[in-house]
Amino acid sequence: MIEGEQLRKEYNMGDTVVHALDGVDLRIAEGEFVSIVGASGSGKSTLMHILGCLDRPTSGELLIQGQPVSSMNDRRLAAIRNRYIGFVFQTFNLINRTSALDNVALPLVYTRKPFSKRDARRALERVGLADRARHTPSELSGGECQRVAIARAIVNHPKLILADEPTGNLDTGTSAQIMEIFHDLHANGLTIVIVTHETEIAVQAQRMIQMCDGRVIDDSHVDEARRREVVALVESTRRRMFRTRSAS
Amino acid sequence: MFLFRIIAMAFGGLWTNLFRSLLATLGVIIGVGAVIAAVSILQGAEREILERFESLGADQLIVLNGSSRRQGRSVTISSLKLSDADAIERDNPKLVAATAPQVQAGSQVKYYQRNVYAPVLGTSPAYAAINSYDVADGRFLTREDVRGNAMVCILGYKVAGDLFGVRSAVGMKVKIAGKSFDVIGVMVERGTLGFIEVDKQVIIPITTAMGRMYGRRKLTSLIVQSTDPTKLVECIESVKKTLRSEHRIRAGKPDDFIIFTQEQIKENFAQVAVIFAVVLYSIAGISMVVGGIGIMNIMMVAVTERTREIGVRMAVGARRSDILIQFLFEAGIISLFGGGLGVLWGLAVSNLLDTVVDILTTYTPPIAIVFALVMAMVVGLLSGVYPAMKAARLDPVEALRFE
Repeated sequence: MIEGEQLRKEYNMGDTVVHALDGVDLRIAEGEFVSIVGASGSGKSTLMHILGCLDRPTSGELLIQGQPVSSMNDRRLAAIRNRYIGFVFQTFNLINRTSALDNVALPLVYTRKPFSKRDARRALERVGLADRARHTPSELSGGECQRVAIARAIVNHPKLILADEPTGNLDTGTSAQIMEIFHDLHANGLTIVIVTHETEIAVQAQRMIQMCDGRVIDDSHVDEARRREVVALVESTRRRMFRTRSAS
Repeated sequence: MFLFRIIAMAFGGLWTNLFRSLLATLGVIIGVGAVIAAVSILQGAEREILERFESLGADQLIVLNGSSRRQGRSVTISSLKLSDADAIERDNPKLVAATAPQVQAGSQVKYYQRNVYAPVLGTSPAYAAINSYDVADGRFLTREDVRGNAMVCILGYKVAGDLFGVRSAVGMKVKIAGKSFDVIGVMVERGTLGFIEVDKQVIIPITTAMGRMYGRRKLTSLIVQSTDPTKLVECIESVKKTLRSEHRIRAGKPDDFIIFTQEQIKENFAQVAVIFAVVLYSIAGISMVVGGIGIMNIMMVAVTERTREIGVRMAVGARRSDILIQFLFEAGIISLFGGGLGVLWGLAVSNLLDTVVDILTTYTPPIAIVFALVMAMVVGLLSGVYPAMKAARLDPVEALRFE
C-alpha cells in the first residue's frame, strides 16, 4: 500500500549538507503493524514525515497505493493526509481552547463534506473517552489527551496510522493502555506504523525497522521469543510499581 | 457549510484572546468613530447652511463692499452709497425689479424695564417684498418713513414677544440705544433669513439708521431683485456697469464692490466644505491606517503563537488556502467588530456634540454607517493578508516542531 524507493532527504545547514535520509527502500503492506526504531537523528522522524506526506523527499519516489507522490500537488497531499492517514504525535498536539469532541472533529471539517458530530463521538467511544467529550485538553490527563489524539487520527476512517513516539510523554502504565488501543485498531484492519526509541514498545509490532544515519540497517519480523521476553520485563516492572504504590 | 465551519473557528480563535482582540481593534474603533463623527458634523453643517441659502431667493443678487490688498492684507473698501440703490433701479428698469439697501448694526432695545440686545437693520420698504417677509401686525416701512428719517421701527417676532409678551406692540414706544422709536409693526415668525435670525431683529428706516442712529455714510450691503431669474448673468453685468459709473471707476481699474448670487455663495461654500471634508477624512483615514497596523501586529503575534496549531491543521488535511481563509476571517471579524463599536461611539460623540454645542447640528447619513463598516472590513482584510499568508506558507513539519 505504501512504497518508498531510494528515498533521500537533505537539509542545508549552512555550508554542510545533512543527509537525514540516505536512500531508504521500504514497503509496507496493508494490515501490517510496523515499528521504526533508532537513536535520535537516525532519520526515523524524517521518514515518518515523508510517509505521512507532510514532507517531500529530496529525491526518490514514494508510492501511495501505486500513485507517485511527486506527481501530486499540495492540495492532493492535504486530501491524502485528511482521508488516508491519521497522525499521532508525542506531544498530542491538540488545540487547547476547544473541547475533546471538537478536536476529534477537526479532520472532518477539512473533508469539506457535511458531517455530524456523532462520528467524532463514536471515535471517542472507541478510545473509551465518551464521557470526556466536553472537556478541554487542559482538563485531561496525558493518557487521556493521547487517546483524544488517537480518536482524531481514526475519525475519518484512514487506512494508515502514523504514530511518532506516541508513548514518549507517558508513564509505563498509560503507555500500555495506549499500545492496547493500537493493537485493537490493528486487529480491526488498520495499518500501523509507530516510530519509537523504546524497545519494549517496538517489539510489540509484527515488524521492526531499525535505522541509523538515515539508512535502514535492519528490517525483520519480530520473533515471539524476543517479544515475550520484553513483555515479561514490562509486566514485572508494572507489578513492581504496583507493589511500591500500594505499600505507600 | 465548510466556510461556516472556518468562520466558527475564526471566532473561536478570537474568543480565547478576547482582551487582546479588543485591544487589536481599538485603533479601528477610534478610526471608525472619527469617521462617523466627522461625517455627522460635516453633513449637519452642510444641511443647515444649505437650508439657509435656500431661504434666500434664487432671483437675488447681493452686493457687498469690495476689498483690496494693501501691504499684503485684505482691507474692506466701504464704497456702497445709499444713492446706488436708486441708481440701479433707475438705470436697469428691465432687469431689476427692486433694490433694498441695508445697514446692519446692533443695539439695546428697551421697553421700560424690559430690555433685549437686538441686531438692528436699516433698510427700505422693498425689503419686505424682496424677501417675502411681511408684518403680522401693523405696517411695514413706507417711502415717507425713509424720506422723513422717521423714528419708527418694526420688531421681529421674538423681540416683540420678549418686550411685550402677549400684548400688542404696535403703537408703543421703545428706546433703541437710548433713542425713542414708535413701534409701527411686528413681523411674522420666520426663524432665519439667510444667516440672520430675523425673529430677533429690529428694522428701522435706512435713512434713520445711517443718520441719527449710527452716523454711517456707506451701506453694509445691497440686495437687488431681478425681474427674471434666468437673466441673472445679464443682470449682474448691468448692475456692475451702473455701479462702476456711479463710483467713477476708470476702465481697467478693479471693482470696489462684489456681486454674489445665491448660487455662487452655495458654490463657494461647497468649496469650503470640500476642504473641510478632505481634512476630516484624512484624519479619519490616518486613524484607520493606524488601526490596520494594530490588527496586523496582533495577527502576526497570533500566527507565531499558533504555529503548532497550524501544523496540526495541515497534518489532519487542511489546505494552505484553508489556513489563509481562517486567518483572513479572523482579521476581518476583529475589524468588523471594531467597526461596529466604532459606529456606536461615533454616533454617541455626534449626539453629544449636537446637544452640548449650541451652534452644531449633526446628521449621520445611514450610508455613512455602511461605508464605515465596509471600510473597517477592508482595512481588516488588507492588514490580515500578510499574516494570513505567512501562516499558510508555513512548512507543516517545521510548524509541528515549533516550540
